[in-house]
Order: sequence, then structure tokens, then C-alpha cells
Amino acid sequence: MKNGSTTNGNGTKWHNKYPHLGRDPLPAEVFTSEEQFAREREQIFKKVWLNVGRAEQIPHPGDYFVKDLAICNTSVIVVRGKDGTVKAFHNMCSHRGNKIAWDPKGTCQMFTCKFHGWSYALNGKLTFVPDEERFFGLKKETLSMTPVAVDLWAGFIFINVDPNPQETLQDYLGELGAGLIDYPFGELSATSTSWTTEVKANWKVIKDAFQEVYHIAFLHRRSIPDSFTSKTNPYAHCLDVQLYPRHGSMSLYGNADLKPTPVAALAFQHGAFVIRKDFSESRLPPAVNPTRSKEWTLDLNVIFPAFFVDVSEGSYFTHQFMPLAVDRTMWTSTQYFPKAKTPAQQFSQEYGNVIFRDVILEDGRTFEETQSVLASGAKKEFHLHDEEILVRHSHHVIEQMINGQPIAAVSHANGKEEVARA
Amino acid sequence: MPKSLLPAQFHELEQWLAWSLATEKERSAKRQASTMADIKVFYDAMLGRMEEVLPYLDQFSVDALPEDATRLFYLTLSLAEVAPAVEQFGQPSVVDGYDIKRIVTQHAETVTT
Repeated sequence: MKNGSTTNGNGTKWHNKYPHLGRDPLPAEVFTSEEQFAREREQIFKKVWLNVGRAEQIPHPGDYFVKDLAICNTSVIVVRGKDGTVKAFHNMCSHRGNKIAWDPKGTCQMFTCKFHGWSYALNGKLTFVPDEERFFGLKKETLSMTPVAVDLWAGFIFINVDPNPQETLQDYLGELGAGLIDYPFGELSATSTSWTTEVKANWKVIKDAFQEVYHIAFLHRRSIPDSFTSKTNPYAHCLDVQLYPRHGSMSLYGNADLKPTPVAALAFQHGAFVIRKDFSESRLPPAVNPTRSKEWTLDLNVIFPAFFVDVSEGSYFTHQFMPLAVDRTMWTSTQYFPKAKTPAQQFSQEYGNVIFRDVILEDGRTFEETQSVLASGAKKEFHLHDEEILVRHSHHVIEQMINGQPIAAVSHANGKEEVARA
Repeated sequence: MPKSLLPAQFHELEQWLAWSLATEKERSAKRQASTMADIKVFYDAMLGRMEEVLPYLDQFSVDALPEDATRLFYLTLSLAEVAPAVEQFGQPSVVDGYDIKRIVTQHAETVTT
């Protein structure tokens, strides 16, 4: 009934652009099904490129960090090698499987297993086995740490636990990655503040909250009133949506007539952060704020499956949702700023961090409240608004992947034809 | 007479030195543990001087603030911390918010490679 069904008002703008996603409700069980979660693990998280950090975390040879990836049943060591390149290995000793690096980060000349002292060079090669003579024909050259595919994009480190990744990181990020590559990530990554917590909710419950702004006028009515909404746009309708085969972007409206609170006004005078009135576009590549609107705040960039890079004029932030179990997720949001040149700029950045943190605390409350009733079975399906099209798209891609279907190219509708039919 | 803890022209802000805290963790904990009355008097006192405080601090490099200016700087960061309590929520914590005590905050100054 695609062409004949009624809609509420003119709520078909993004549906018309991407009609292949349909208008059906979303089955509630996708958030609670153990079977679905098992398939997400095998068909998605163990097959695709996952962000694990940024290059600035390991500037020098021997610098490393550990990323525990329960969803991939592993832990990964990411290290800058003696040759300056970034390498990744399963964090597991070849002897009897002990995790080699226990600290979340560090700097070392070699990795030594704390269990029996087996030692590995930064390139993963097994270099020393205590009391080696008493082993039975050990071939050290075959017992390196197991490598994990690793590559960088715009300073972000991605890994892929598939022993034979089906595509390169560049191909995986595709058009979205190409459009964002000239964003000044390096300069804007001088300082970062991250907030991490383990949430008792399915990873998609959390992800979906961050890929729509229909909720802003309600959930965030206290924290950021009139920032993403105005008299002419009371429901924060977005400026643009771009969907890719797996990823998606949404360009967000901003109220240019925002009347800041007293402390916000001080912060606006002295620096840059997400919500502000200066909509200068001088540094932004064409893919950012694609409509070149003067009423713009930021673009959401959803890198499938669980990493967001949300870019603004003078700062950006990321979200990551790493599943631990069907109803448990490690959620991290990180806000990045350029180096503050003055104390007043640092005050401004601190205000940006506090507001960002308090806003995501409002988001955070919904996750466990939602999950706590999802398994009741009281609701079989959920209805998505046209502005929630990234949610619709995301679930569509997940469904395709867990069913082993090829990811179809996104078909852009012929706008005129669709409008005529609606 | 002991050396002034804050730059002389901001002497009267010394009664708020309990808010001069170096980390977000400390500032946030102080906000959450304070009454709105305590937060509001600190907010009002700081806000009234900010137009002078920020230009004063900006004489110095952010990495080379003298001790007394550092204390003053930390007071401005606490003003940023308490601002939403006063301007947005009307209470110390986020209204209907996720429990901030469950959040682990990490701040990093990174080196560009």
C-alpha cells in the first residue's frame, strides 16, 4: 500500500527520497532477541571495520592501547610499531591463551605475558620463551601474536577481526568517508573528553536515540531549548539526509536567533563548541553542512554499525556503542576540541563539555527505562517518524546483513515522480 | 600578611575557593553535593566578575598561569560546571538524568602525529 496509504500531514519528505526503505513499523523483538544478537555478532561485528581509537592515543613507537571487544569474543592490542605504523593483534598468548596486555594502555619495548613470560616484539613476533629447551619442537616463527586487520581513516583507527576482510577500510567507508576526509580532524583532536558507562540496554536502543532529533524538543527541552528548534521549526526537522549502502548522515538545523543563557553567552564569545551562532563555513568540506544553510548546527555521521562522527564548525564528537550482551552495552561519547590558545577559550570548551555531558545524561536515562519494558511483549512493533529515517535505514541494513543478503546500493528516488504520486 | 591566594583585584572571590578544583570529576562531585542555594551564590558572585576575569586570565598562556591566576581559572571552570544547574535544571543534577556516578570521565591532551 505504498502509494495508497495515508500519511499524517506532509511527513513523507525523506521517505520520498529513499522509498526503498518502506513505511512499515519496526519489530520490537530486534532489541531483545538472543538469536538476533548472535547473528549480529557473527554477520556484522565479526565482519566489518570497527573504530577502536585515534592515532593521537599512540604517538610514539611502543605506545599501545587495549580494546576489549566482547562482541568479537576478543581483546585487541593496538600498538605503534618501531617502523611508525599502527599494528593490531589479538591480545592472547600463543602458549596457553592468557591475555598478554592487562593494562588499558601503556608504552613498552616488547609485550611479555604475565603468566609464563613469553615475550613478543612490537611486530608480534615471538622472541623469547623461558626454558625453551624443555618444549617439544616449538617453532617460534609460527607462534607470533595473531594479527588483526587494521587501517586508518582521518586519524581514526579501525580494526576488522575477519581474518580475510571482504573489503578495504576505504571501500567500507565509501562515499561518506571520502566526503569527510578533508574535515580538520587532526587540528580539532588536540584535546578530548570522553564519558563511558555500561548500560543495561541493547546497543541499538542507544544507537537509535543518537540518530534522530525528533526527541530534542521533548527530552532536551530543559538543557538545550531553542538550539535545534525555533518558532519556524518547532520539531527540529533536519536540513538534509544522505543514505549510503550502510552508513548515513543527517544535517541538523540550528536556531540562528538563539538567545543564550548568561554563561553560554560568555562561552560563545570565547570559543567554539556545538551550539553557537557563528555559522561560518570557511573550513568545512562540501560534504559537511551540504545544504550550506546558515541555520545549521552539526551533521550526524553514522558509520555502520556502531560509531558516530558528528561534526560541527569548530569541534566534533563521537559516540560508540559496543555490545556486551543482548541487553548490555559499553557506551562511550567523546568530545574533541582544538588546543585552547587562551584560558578563556579553555573555559568555553569546558562549558561545551559540561553541556554536552548533561545533554547525553538526559539521553542516557531513556536507555534502561526503555530496555526494562521491551521484553514484556506488550508492544510488538514501533512506529517510525519520517525524521527517524536513519533509524529505519539502520535496521534495514542490519536485517539484510544478519540474513546474509548482499547490501544493495541505495536507490535515490526521482523526487518529482514521488511527489506526484504522494 | 600572607600572599593573596587570588589576584588582588579578585580578592573578594576568595570566599569561593572551595570551588577552585582542577578536574571535572572534582567539580562535578562538588556540584552534585551542593545545595542549590550554595550553587546560586557562587554562580552569582562569579558571573558578576567574569567580564573582568576572562580578560585578566587571557594575559597569560593557558599553559603558564601563575598560581593565583590558576586558582581563579579553576573557579571559572566551576562556573561552567554549575551553569546548567542554575540556568537549565533548577537543581544540582540533570532532571530525569542518567546517574552521573555511573559515568567514567577521561580527559586527554593528545599529541598530533
